Amino acid sequence: MNIEAISMRMLSNIGVGVALADPEDLTIGYRNPAFAAWFGVEDGTPLEEIFGSVTRAELVERLAVEDAIKLDVAVKRKRRLLTIETVIRHAESDGRRILLVECQNISRLRETEAMIDSYARIAEKKARELELEKNRVEKLLLNVMPRSVYEEYTAFGTVTPKLYEPVSVLMLDFVGFTQMAAAADPTVTVTELNDIFTAFDRIAEMHGCERIKTIGDAYLAVAGLPTPNPDHASAVAQCASKMIRYLERRNQSHPHQWQARIGIASGSVVGSVVGVQKYVYDVFGPAVNLASRLQSLSNPMEVTATSDFGEDSLEGLVPVDAGTIDIRGFGLTSIVKLQAHGAVDLAA
Amino acid sequence: MSGKTQTLYEKYGGFPGVRQVVTDFYERALDSDIVGHFFEDVNMARLVDHQTKMIAGLLGGPVEISDARLATAHAHLNVDHYHFDEIAVLLNETLVDAGFDKQDRLAAIAAVEARRSVIVRRSRAA
Repeated sequence: MNIEAISMRMLSNIGVGVALADPEDLTIGYRNPAFAAWFGVEDGTPLEEIFGSVTRAELVERLAVEDAIKLDVAVKRKRRLLTIETVIRHAESDGRRILLVECQNISRLRETEAMIDSYARIAEKKARELELEKNRVEKLLLNVMPRSVYEEYTAFGTVTPKLYEPVSVLMLDFVGFTQMAAAADPTVTVTELNDIFTAFDRIAEMHGCERIKTIGDAYLAVAGLPTPNPDHASAVAQCASKMIRYLERRNQSHPHQWQARIGIASGSVVGSVVGVQKYVYDVFGPAVNLASRLQSLSNPMEVTATSDFGEDSLEGLVPVDAGTIDIRGFGLTSIVKLQAHGAVDLAA
Repeated sequence: MSGKTQTLYEKYGGFPGVRQVVTDFYERALDSDIVGHFFEDVNMARLVDHQTKMIAGLLGGPVEISDARLATAHAHLNVDHYHFDEIAVLLNETLVDAGFDKQDRLAAIAAVEARRSVIVRRSRAA
């Protein structure tokens, strides 16, 4: 078998469509079986007939200036619309100029592209949903722990307990809450408590305090954590005073009267995430315990602090000496009651 | 694993694994004399998109197509039980060739069956 015979056999069997056309009158001469099967042409069929959308004039114009023309042709085979990529290029055979037409069925490629596009849209949608979910989770976690702690938690999956010193702690508790909860409609009590704590959160935020937790009707906030704040003592003092004033004002216009005791103390605390499944950010340490004891020493609507609070610049607040008291775990401690300027001395 | 059971989509290789199933099913659906006409003259990219979502969804992949959307998409096609059965048969054949275990095939077909009442709107005409 000579080379020509081998070439002819190859042309007859390959999946690529091949045809030769006259460059002068643009009629198709030889075409291999693949080409014939797609386009069903006969000898002498004008080349432009296989392209639905291209005119003879356009073909002539483009062939005059371009070495090769690439066109996608849609061919309907049974129910399928095939995409045939067609390239027409100038060639030469035995010194004669001819046009070589090569065609490939790229339908599968196009289908695969469409499938990848489809999957990409699915994946992108999923990614957007996950991002939203992540934001929701982040928002929830930021409610229970400071941002810096949250960032440590997401980076390492754990939070190392950290000592914060010096910080100031505010502990607030309501007077007679238990009786109130029992007497009134519990849903009303809880709604009111939620309302008040929300206001406290805003007051705390305004003064650079971080609400750590509420336990029933008790409210615990800290200043100087997680970012150190040299004015931590003043911050909790102002915060405490505003909370009392807020309650006074609220009591004037609400049927339910809320009376709070507040204790504030400075010192050190350890902050950490406690628990694995049901974790919560919490603080422990002498400042927390002292604030709690001082709170219980307060009369209703009063703020009790250790006497060292008097040294700070407590703008608008006056520390009134309340003597020395033996506090469990802290020994003899001199305490003060904080009052707003011009207020009646209730501590006397 | 985070305690969640593995979906068929994950078991058979995620999107790279499902790709072949989609292509094969697409061919069979177009070739079928029972349901092929539904896909005739449908924009190829739309059809592939639809089938990618359908196969991925059936196998528990990251797609959820609501019954309402399915119903709307098929409402004008007048699909009957005969057509629906053919789709189930073609899908089963596709999954056999893709090497799915029998129980996994049954699970996928059950997922198709669960949507029968949403897609089929009429009984077979006499």
